[in-house]
Amino acid sequence: MDSTVISDLLVGGILRGGMYVLMAMGLSLVFGVMRIPNFAHGEFYMLGAYFSYFACTLGGFPPAIAIVLAGIGGFVCGALMEKVTFYPLRKRSRGDWIMNSFLVTAGLSFILQNLAQALVGTDFKGVPQYWGGSINFAGLSVSTDRIVGFLIAMASVAIFWLFLKKTRTGNAIRAVSEHETGAMLMGIELNKIHTLTFALSSMLAAIAGAALLSIIPAYPTMGLQPLYKSWFVVILVGLGNIQATIIGGFLVGVIEAVSSFSLGAMWQDVVSLSIIILVLLVKPTGLFGKKMKV
Amino acid sequence: MISEKSLETGFVKNLKHNLGNFGLSPVAIGLFVLLGFAPYLIGDEYILRLLVISLLFGTLAMGFDLSAGYIDVANWGYAGLMGLGAYTSALLLTNLGISPWIGTLAGAFMAAIFGLLIGVLTLKMDGMFAAILAWFIGLILMALTTSLTGLTRGALGLNVDLYFNTGWSKPYFYVIFVICIVTYIVLRRVTNSNLGLAFSALGQDAEAARTCGVDPMKYKVINFTISCFVAGLCGGFYAHFMGILTPDIMSTKHTVEVLVIAYIGGRRSIWGPLLAAFLVVPVFEYLNFLMEFKYVIYGLLLILVMIFYPGGIAHFYNYIVGIFNEKKRKLTGPESNPFA
Repeated sequence: MDSTVISDLLVGGILRGGMYVLMAMGLSLVFGVMRIPNFAHGEFYMLGAYFSYFACTLGGFPPAIAIVLAGIGGFVCGALMEKVTFYPLRKRSRGDWIMNSFLVTAGLSFILQNLAQALVGTDFKGVPQYWGGSINFAGLSVSTDRIVGFLIAMASVAIFWLFLKKTRTGNAIRAVSEHETGAMLMGIELNKIHTLTFALSSMLAAIAGAALLSIIPAYPTMGLQPLYKSWFVVILVGLGNIQATIIGGFLVGVIEAVSSFSLGAMWQDVVSLSIIILVLLVKPTGLFGKKMKV
Repeated sequence: MISEKSLETGFVKNLKHNLGNFGLSPVAIGLFVLLGFAPYLIGDEYILRLLVISLLFGTLAMGFDLSAGYIDVANWGYAGLMGLGAYTSALLLTNLGISPWIGTLAGAFMAAIFGLLIGVLTLKMDGMFAAILAWFIGLILMALTTSLTGLTRGALGLNVDLYFNTGWSKPYFYVIFVICIVTYIVLRRVTNSNLGLAFSALGQDAEAARTCGVDPMKYKVINFTISCFVAGLCGGFYAHFMGILTPDIMSTKHTVEVLVIAYIGGRRSIWGPLLAAFLVVPVFEYLNFLMEFKYVIYGLLLILVMIFYPGGIAHFYNYIVGIFNEKKRKLTGPESNPFA
């Protein structure tokens, strides 16, 4: 393997990984704060792609604004769905919370996917390019859209990270994820935090979908792949550990790039699965997992 | 005269008790017998086929309920394991010429082995891990069957020989009928035994169960393996009943279908999901003209059941029986009630 191939794989893997980070972070956040294994996360990715598509084609907005609009759309949809489903579920739930909420997200995913199929159709809805052109980078030519998409992902992750660390609301979210009752006793309104958390996580997924629109066109079942990729990441590094998803996302991206290059695209999931199984065998809480009830 | 009467009630009681050991109440037997004669009572091929599909989904949902209801694992790869059973049986038949009857069993064992492996890996953690690992495995099996076109013909579909030389539903009805009854009896027996007690203890409070000497790992793995076996068995039947297999059979969509039936039927009852299949499958067959909106309704139903009535039909039935018992006790007076 010569050096151009290696750098090609590395760059490809990191570009891919950036998106996994963005997706997995929201997934991990929702599990950490609300204890919901979100199965509908990929559907917000799909919504983001559709929002951006319609903003670009019907609204005629420039790409940057389309992506922002998609993010806002994801935020609003996420907040709405949290209020309509998880809020009443939390009110009525007696035990079995993880399982019940898991099934509710499955229902949500089913509804969103099939509504999209019924209302928009199954054909690919994409834009040929956002910015177009390509950039020479370390002797490789990479399309501008991929680079900009990656930069958007990284910027979102950084802003989100600062929000969690520096602002009062962000600290409240982290407090709830650490100890719910304790946070409530300190005067944090749990309902607000839960809604905000779910909305933010949906927003991150929607941004990911929107930023990649020129590379992956929008279609109703497009959410499945990013969904299970982000579950790979989250299980690999440990559930609810938000920092570690950053490392995990890039790790999975590079592993996939390498395995699909050396074994063929068909086997990349098999390789990832084998790694997950190994991790579960050796350290069931994940590579960077916190100690939890095993 | 009196002694004769008491002898009779004694015999009836004994019989009832023995049947109860197999999870069969007189009502259940009556319904099963009635169902057994259905092919002779119903001349319409379309309705009979619908009955076969209801039985298939009922059996699948019972297997699903075993792990979802008793150890709190919603097996997210259920359709994947069903597809594994189906493809195993079909490939054994087309490539090696092995009889579909043996193939169906082989497929079931194949699914059970996968279930065992998933269980051993993940069941020491929260049930969610098992659900998600099973899901990954289902997705990968689906991707592999799609891309290994040399073996499975991929999305084009694999033609499979049927069990019988006829396409009429009647003989297939009896095959799935027997599978369904055997599954029902075995599952009821398992869940009513000490094993079942351990299962529900684990589902309710794993810590407390462990303190009482229940080895959670062992029971959970046994439970999960049996559940996967049922999935594989039904998959084998599906293959030799439908005659064509596509990788779509493994998609998560079908897991959700089974899951909706199981939850409408009610967790932790086994009979609830079976009954629910006879309500849900025909209704959704009728709703086919709605296309995608049918699945939207599936999703809505799942959310509504989860939020407002997580107990399902079985819970509703227990509630009604509870009211009746209360009335009876009030009518007969306190002296007949040993606990009064």
